[in-house]
Amino acid sequence: MQSTICALASGQGGAVALVRLSGPDALVITHTLTSKTQLFEPRRQTFCSIYDGKNILDKALVTYFKAPHSFTGEDVVEFALHGSPYIIGRTLELLCQSGAVPAKRGEFSQRAFLNGKMDLVEAQGLCDLIAAGNQSAHRLAMNALDGKLSGKLSEIKTKLTELLAQIEVRLDDVDEEMTPLSTDFITQEITAVLTAIRTLTDTFSVGRLIKDGLKVAIVGAPNSGKSSLLNALVGFDRAIVTDVCGTTRDTVEETLEINGQKIRLTDTAGIRAHALDVAEQEGMRRSKRAMENADVILFVLDSSRPVCAEEKQLWQDIQTQHKRTLIVLNKTDKPSSGKIDLENVTQYTQFTVSCKTGAGLNELKNTLTAPMNEVEKDSLLISNLRHYEELLRAQTELESALMQLTKNAGGEIYAEHLRGALTHLKDLMGEVTPDDILGVIFSKFCMGK
Amino acid sequence: MFVCSEQYDVVVIGGGHAGCEAALAAAKLGAKTLLLTQNLDTIAQMSCNPSIGGIAKGQIVREIDALGGAMGRVTDFSALHYHMLNTGKGPAVHSPRVQCDKKVYQFTFKHFLELQPNLDIMQDEAVRLTTTDNKIDGVLTLRDTLYHTKTVILTTGTFLGGTIHIGTVMTPGGRYNDMPSNLLSKNLSTELGLHLMRFKTGTPMRINARGLDYSKFRLQPSDNPLQPISHFTDEKEQQKRKFLSCYITHTTLATDKILRENFQRSAMYGGNIHSQGPRYCPSVEDKIKKFPEVTSHPLFLEPEGAHTEEFYIQGFSTSMPEDVQRALIASVPGMENASITRMGYAVEYDCSDPMDLYPHLESKIGPGLFCAGQINGTTGYEEAGGQGLMAGINAALKVQGKEPFVLRRDEAYIGVLIDDLVTKGVNEPYRMFTSRAEYRILLRNDNADLRLMPHAFRLGLLDKTYEPAFEKYRALCDTLKNNINAVICEDPDLFPWSAEKARRHADIHHKYEGYYERNKKDAEKLAEVDAIKIPEGFDPSTVRGLLFESAQKLREVKPQTLGQASRIPGVTPSDIQLLAVHIERFRRLKHVANAR
Repeated sequence: MQSTICALASGQGGAVALVRLSGPDALVITHTLTSKTQLFEPRRQTFCSIYDGKNILDKALVTYFKAPHSFTGEDVVEFALHGSPYIIGRTLELLCQSGAVPAKRGEFSQRAFLNGKMDLVEAQGLCDLIAAGNQSAHRLAMNALDGKLSGKLSEIKTKLTELLAQIEVRLDDVDEEMTPLSTDFITQEITAVLTAIRTLTDTFSVGRLIKDGLKVAIVGAPNSGKSSLLNALVGFDRAIVTDVCGTTRDTVEETLEINGQKIRLTDTAGIRAHALDVAEQEGMRRSKRAMENADVILFVLDSSRPVCAEEKQLWQDIQTQHKRTLIVLNKTDKPSSGKIDLENVTQYTQFTVSCKTGAGLNELKNTLTAPMNEVEKDSLLISNLRHYEELLRAQTELESALMQLTKNAGGEIYAEHLRGALTHLKDLMGEVTPDDILGVIFSKFCMGK
Repeated sequence: MFVCSEQYDVVVIGGGHAGCEAALAAAKLGAKTLLLTQNLDTIAQMSCNPSIGGIAKGQIVREIDALGGAMGRVTDFSALHYHMLNTGKGPAVHSPRVQCDKKVYQFTFKHFLELQPNLDIMQDEAVRLTTTDNKIDGVLTLRDTLYHTKTVILTTGTFLGGTIHIGTVMTPGGRYNDMPSNLLSKNLSTELGLHLMRFKTGTPMRINARGLDYSKFRLQPSDNPLQPISHFTDEKEQQKRKFLSCYITHTTLATDKILRENFQRSAMYGGNIHSQGPRYCPSVEDKIKKFPEVTSHPLFLEPEGAHTEEFYIQGFSTSMPEDVQRALIASVPGMENASITRMGYAVEYDCSDPMDLYPHLESKIGPGLFCAGQINGTTGYEEAGGQGLMAGINAALKVQGKEPFVLRRDEAYIGVLIDDLVTKGVNEPYRMFTSRAEYRILLRNDNADLRLMPHAFRLGLLDKTYEPAFEKYRALCDTLKNNINAVICEDPDLFPWSAEKARRHADIHHKYEGYYERNKKDAEKLAEVDAIKIPEGFDPSTVRGLLFESAQKLREVKPQTLGQASRIPGVTPSDIQLLAVHIERFRRLKHVANAR
């Protein structure tokens, strides 16, 4: 059975991005991201929501091409998404979680060719593409996995191979004279490997932040100074700042570097309970989406006036996001209006800043980048989705092995899961054959005949 | 020179476990077959331990049996002791092992061969293969007789250039007191161009049971009830037979001391042997050298027959000189007063690089030449038998102009064995383990018939009269797999199967259901790439963009399918992607060319 593959099919950086999914499970996987009842008519664009759990990740134009009438000749689904790197990255992650695998270089074209969708002339170009990919990917795999990460992975692989050898040697014990391994010992060994892998997968959130940048949404009531904050952080006038409420109707995005880290700031339209015109309503819809996509929300409040009804409503929305949120009390150059009248607000970190004078901005910057800067230089980080996926799969296998152990299943059963985990590590870093395991067996155990 | 007037399809050289199965299978498929052996009285001889089966090997015997081979049936006929190994673990790794009466085994097998239509047996030694245009066309023997043949199967075991070592004493021999085939070895390497390697194996001493102190042994009785190893043996009748016991003892510190003091006097460590022996079947001196922390190793006493007092001592393989061997025996509890009847020894022999073979076991070097068994770098009667069977089938199919028969890795241990041999090669004698099989849950002892008999009936390896019973059994198994609570009843038409067997199989299947499906799914992916044949005339190593090392490996192995290419160590997924496109391109270009 062919796997179902996915990848970004368009370039990155445009307003619209095309993510392509191809293979026998394309439609099934698509349904896990949209609603189950969503109908997709072949070769018709369908406008629908892409869900990340219960939250809407994006609204996209989805097109289903039924085999063999598609680019690859297989079932294909194409997602026209908004061109945000976060949306693209997250969509691919979700597709992989639902059973797709990241496509190899040239794999769509390869399938197209093998399914008779491409002629020989085109195939030559395809061969060049794969060939170039082969050489460079090989170099890249060597380099990308070089050093500490590859060291750590081979440490994990060795530990797992040795544990598996201990189990396998007993399955293949000809003399039946070997002392069985205790469940406690196996549990302890698997847990150790599992912990080592989890330590790596846990770095993915931060690793990705460092690679793709920390997404910060600046939200607040109209005229609380959101655009001023953006400008103050960026250092020049990027957003239009006026005294008229609702000047920022679109979202304004800016990428900047703070303390050596990439930050992607989004200034949003002020949220008002009763938006005045259609443009403003659309802007506010985007603001909400910016919050949903953000890693950190900066809630800007004007400290010179009391909290208004709109801000209370907005605060409710922010809290339902369950995201890292910082409260920014702006305009501290003006007299304070006193206590902030918001529920639970004392549980959040607050910053008093003046965008005018620049006071308090450094503290805010330091706090923003703290999680990334706290990561030690040269420490191990997983930032590649494929690596992350493989490690997660290995992790799942080990968890299943532990579960089978509690059920007192036989060695041949949890060996299946350990073999599975090893295969995923192998896919990450190169060959592990049964011969590796036998090699360990022969060097460590005295086997009779 | 006498030229035999018979025109043979297949000549099998060597009457060991590989040769016997090869000759039977080829003859069964209708090929006019000749089995050449130096000595008719050592046909199917168990040169080492008196048992058939064991971990993973037991599964191979079941597979041979399901494909119409004789090993399983002869084993049940000569059985002295049954033991299902690994019963403390899950049924996927249960492996049958049977102690046999050596003499009964070999004479029974000889009788099987004699009764087989299309098969001639001749006592003579092959010394040269003759060729025309590099194609095999005949076999010349020591008596200067020429046999014309279309194909030859080499099953030479340890006889090619065999040398026996006991301490520093070296004698020519393929087995103790049996002459080696030195002329043939020379012909294969110098005239045919086979790449010969040198391997080593060994066997322990045999002792007389008279004088043993059984009170110092642990008794290992035969299983009761027992499960016959052959699918065709009457299970109920087999229980009524008389069985012998095996005994377990162990080496002592005194054994350890003797070995240490005499390391330099062993053939292995004294410098006489340079060839590679098996790591998993070490001599007792190997064990002490490599695992000094283990001070006591188990020894198993296995009866050599029902009409002899000789015991085989498993675990005591050695190439020490005679005085040391005598001292070693005296150091073991219960054997203090035992006398040795035959010395243990090491044997060095020529084998041929299995990477020179196609997956159907025909040589890439000489068309019409097939190799099976120890000559391919394996050890074990079962591994030999499995290869012999496949070589016999494929030699016959070749003569009949039919497609080769190759078993996949998810179908049989025999498939794993041959794929490993021809794809990865060997650097030590190869023994099967369950850990070599990635689809272990699929390759079980209890389902060998369901896995392989459909092939056997299709090819004509099994008597058609068994087919209705088999189909009935298969249907019964399916019923139970769909509904474990289904009520089934015994039916004499099921014989040699039974409702009870179906129940046993279904219970095991249910235990592994999720894992079975998982293995199956993985196997389907494999079958897909294995189904992509590398077309005739397509040289994968010329594909631009392949990694240098991969191109080199592909040139060496000459894989038959894309799947086989993907299993070559070092070949990357991108290499395979590239090959897939080029194969399709080649196919289309050829199609275009043919259309013109």
